[in-house]
Amino acid sequence: MLKLKFLIPTVLLLLGIALYLRGQGLDENIVKVDMSVREEIRVPEPEPAITYAYLPQYSHKVSYQRHNKLIEYLSQETGLSIRQVFPNTFEEHRRMVEKGDIDISFSNPMTYIRIANGGAAAFARIIEPSGSPTFRGQIIARRDNRFIHKTKDCIGKSWIAVDPLSAGGYLFVLGLFLDNGITAADFKEIAFAAGPGGKQEKAVLAVYAGKYDFASIREGTLDIVKDKVNISKIKVIAETKPYPSWVYAARKDLDPNIKELIANAMFKLSMNDPEQAEILKQAGIRGIIPAQDDDYNSIRTLAEELGLNNYQKKERRVKE
Amino acid sequence: MIFLSRLRFRTKINLGLTLIVVFTALIIALFVTSMASEALVDQTRKRGKVLAGNLALRAEDPLLSTDLLQLESMVNEVKEADDEIIYAFILDDKERVLASTFREGFPVQLREANSSGKQINAIMIDTGSQKIYDFAAPIFISEKNLGTVRIGLSRAGIQSVVQNLIFAISALTGAVLLVAVLASTHFARRMTFRLGTLQKHAVDIVRTHLGPEISNESTHENNHNSSRKNLKGDEIQELTETFDAMAMNLESHIEDLEITETNLTRQKELLKTIINVSPDYISLIGPAYTYLAVNKPLAKHIGKTEEEIIGLKDEDLFSTHEALVRTEEIRKVLNTGKIINKETREQDDNYSTVRWFHTIRVPVYSESSKIIGVLSTSREITELKSYQAQLIQSQKMESVGKLAGGVAHEINTPLGIILGYAQLLQDDISPDDQISKDLKIIEKQARVCRKIVSDLLGFSRQTESEKTEMCFNNSILEVVQLVSHTFKLEHIEISTKLDDRFPIIHGDPEKLKQVWLNLLSNAMEAIDDQGSIQITTILDISTMTITALFADTGHGVEPQKIGSIFDPFYSTKPVGKGTGLGLSVSFGIIKDHGGSIEAISPLPKSILAGMNAPDDTGPGTLFKVVLPLDAISAVEQVMNTGSV
Repeated sequence: MLKLKFLIPTVLLLLGIALYLRGQGLDENIVKVDMSVREEIRVPEPEPAITYAYLPQYSHKVSYQRHNKLIEYLSQETGLSIRQVFPNTFEEHRRMVEKGDIDISFSNPMTYIRIANGGAAAFARIIEPSGSPTFRGQIIARRDNRFIHKTKDCIGKSWIAVDPLSAGGYLFVLGLFLDNGITAADFKEIAFAAGPGGKQEKAVLAVYAGKYDFASIREGTLDIVKDKVNISKIKVIAETKPYPSWVYAARKDLDPNIKELIANAMFKLSMNDPEQAEILKQAGIRGIIPAQDDDYNSIRTLAEELGLNNYQKKERRVKE
Repeated sequence: MIFLSRLRFRTKINLGLTLIVVFTALIIALFVTSMASEALVDQTRKRGKVLAGNLALRAEDPLLSTDLLQLESMVNEVKEADDEIIYAFILDDKERVLASTFREGFPVQLREANSSGKQINAIMIDTGSQKIYDFAAPIFISEKNLGTVRIGLSRAGIQSVVQNLIFAISALTGAVLLVAVLASTHFARRMTFRLGTLQKHAVDIVRTHLGPEISNESTHENNHNSSRKNLKGDEIQELTETFDAMAMNLESHIEDLEITETNLTRQKELLKTIINVSPDYISLIGPAYTYLAVNKPLAKHIGKTEEEIIGLKDEDLFSTHEALVRTEEIRKVLNTGKIINKETREQDDNYSTVRWFHTIRVPVYSESSKIIGVLSTSREITELKSYQAQLIQSQKMESVGKLAGGVAHEINTPLGIILGYAQLLQDDISPDDQISKDLKIIEKQARVCRKIVSDLLGFSRQTESEKTEMCFNNSILEVVQLVSHTFKLEHIEISTKLDDRFPIIHGDPEKLKQVWLNLLSNAMEAIDDQGSIQITTILDISTMTITALFADTGHGVEPQKIGSIFDPFYSTKPVGKGTGLGLSVSFGIIKDHGGSIEAISPLPKSILAGMNAPDDTGPGTLFKVVLPLDAISAVEQVMNTGSV
């Protein structure tokens, strides 16, 4: 019975420890909220601003990341309220420009010649990271692919392209094939990278993974993907001739003063200024120079060759 | 406590086990539920963070493109994907709700309840009816906060899991408890049954072997139940009481045993003392011829301690010959069972004294009448032998005396007639005549014969003696005075050391004088050229005797002849020089007086030293005459001297 003397305190101690440990678990930062007080949600109306759109070559996030600082700079420089909008597709972008939802469009030359048909006018073009205001398309294949060494070797092979409307990523290369007497029918397969963004990367990855024999990409893409892919295992089979680089266009009926303000602010950007260099680098460009509609006639010629004008005309008819 | 001790052993075990199981279950439940809920909360936090983070990532593009429909569908998808998600909503950078799962209006307070920094923040929201873990995940692009994703996870799920856990533990505890109680009941039943058996056995032992049955009748079959009511404890208590009783009985038995042991020890000591006190040599030899026990005298005789002797054999203790004899005797007793009874003479060497022993060897039987040893007792009978020899001597002397006495008596009468007629014839014849001379020779020789006959009669005590009270010293002094002159001529000194208490004896003075004269003449003849004779008288009141010692410095008597010197006609002198009857006659006279006479040669040194003996004297002889004191004179002696 002497044991009870020790047993009871032991039991109580253990119970105390258990309760203490249990209490530790319940210790929470509690905020009281009365769920009964409710309000209707109103869809927030966007504030009136100059809209700026980047052709959805990449995901919205990448688009935002690349152009966010540039837009901030332009707002600050012009004193205008500028807001970046994100169309989901090339087509949506074009339509939004036509409808006036996009005031300033930054697009590839192919898209430009289409929106130019809707009244948009080019006012600036970029200098590519390579230093040239032009860019080219490239045909790439795995370095260990023994069957593809030159353009003609691509006949009968599977082709992954960026997008049917991609300039460097498809149309320039398609033009190059046509110049070599190769038509779309000569390939085993022509596939386009899926999804809304990151299409250039996807095309490189598809070849790298061996899913397709060769790919058509925009010049400079290999630099972007060098962190994801061992580019030493990729070889460039051929390059197209240079075409004028991406273009800034103002929608039809945009106040010329605003266009002027923005253009001037753009032209002021210089790689010599560290802050501005940072903005340009993030946007993936080296500088912005003035441009006009005629600069893109070579593209119009290519479109002609590829029969895209018919497609555009057809499209217009459907719309009407 | 008393109540507890009164419970049955089985109940105690069940109670103890139940307490242990319940207590263990309680502890486990507390710890496990605490740890489980902690882990679940932690898991929920992680899940909430992951969900919120994922939603924030997925919401980036729709947020940028202000695709409210997609945002709406995204939050709804998240909510539908998980039952525990109470709500999900997305705020823009200005804290405006872009999409939410609330259909019936948005709770105003909820929007500001939680806010994210650069990390996902988790808080607990108490709505009053339930508790919700709220997670706020920021949507960051290029270090710019575009908005916040908020997700609310119900805590009810965790609680239900914990409750299920508690229920499971409780159910398991119940099951274990049931099994434990069943097992313990079975176990306790077996144990109490065995305890009961043990107790019954213990009681039986107490009753059968250790004395009277214990007063408690708990083990008695008929009284089992009724007696149980009187008991204060359980089976162990009963067993304890039984063992107490057994212990008490054992204690009393042990006391008895101790008393018995003490008695035995005392008896053993007594027996040992008796054996040791006995002058006999006692030993016990086992069947392996080894000593099992010896008494002190034997040990002393052998020259070892008792402990040293035990375990040894005869060959280890005695000379080869003696050991052989002893071993053979023991073998005989062991094999045949016959008792050996013998007398042995022992003499270490030619010059040492002879010792006689009377030895008895008896077999010792075990309970199964098997001989297990030999008990030997050996008694020294040297003295007895000496008395035996003396007895034979005296009987011999008596026979010779009777014979000589008879012959002398017969010869005495014709000798008287011869003497008478010889004297008568001399009266008739002239003294110068040859016939007269011859008659004188006849008369002289007849007188010699008569003297011999008279001595013979004296030796055989056939002469009448007239005993009167006389002074012992005076009778000696008279003889000394008579012969001293003659002895001086022979260069022999006579000295006397007489006891001045003048002992009075009852005796014949003339015959005693004859004895003294005999002894002195013997002494004189033993002394060749010159020497001394010392006469000492010693009165011993305690033994009522008077002793006369006649010591001379003569040539002594050879040891082997000393036993024969009192024989009649024994003489060392040449033929014609002596009759050899002197000492025999003296022996007869002393014996007639109830005393004793013995000769000791050589002379004891203590006496020789007190005599002025020349250097070249022989070993000398001591004659010791002991005579009893006259009873009346002894009393007078005491009165006169005042000593005892």
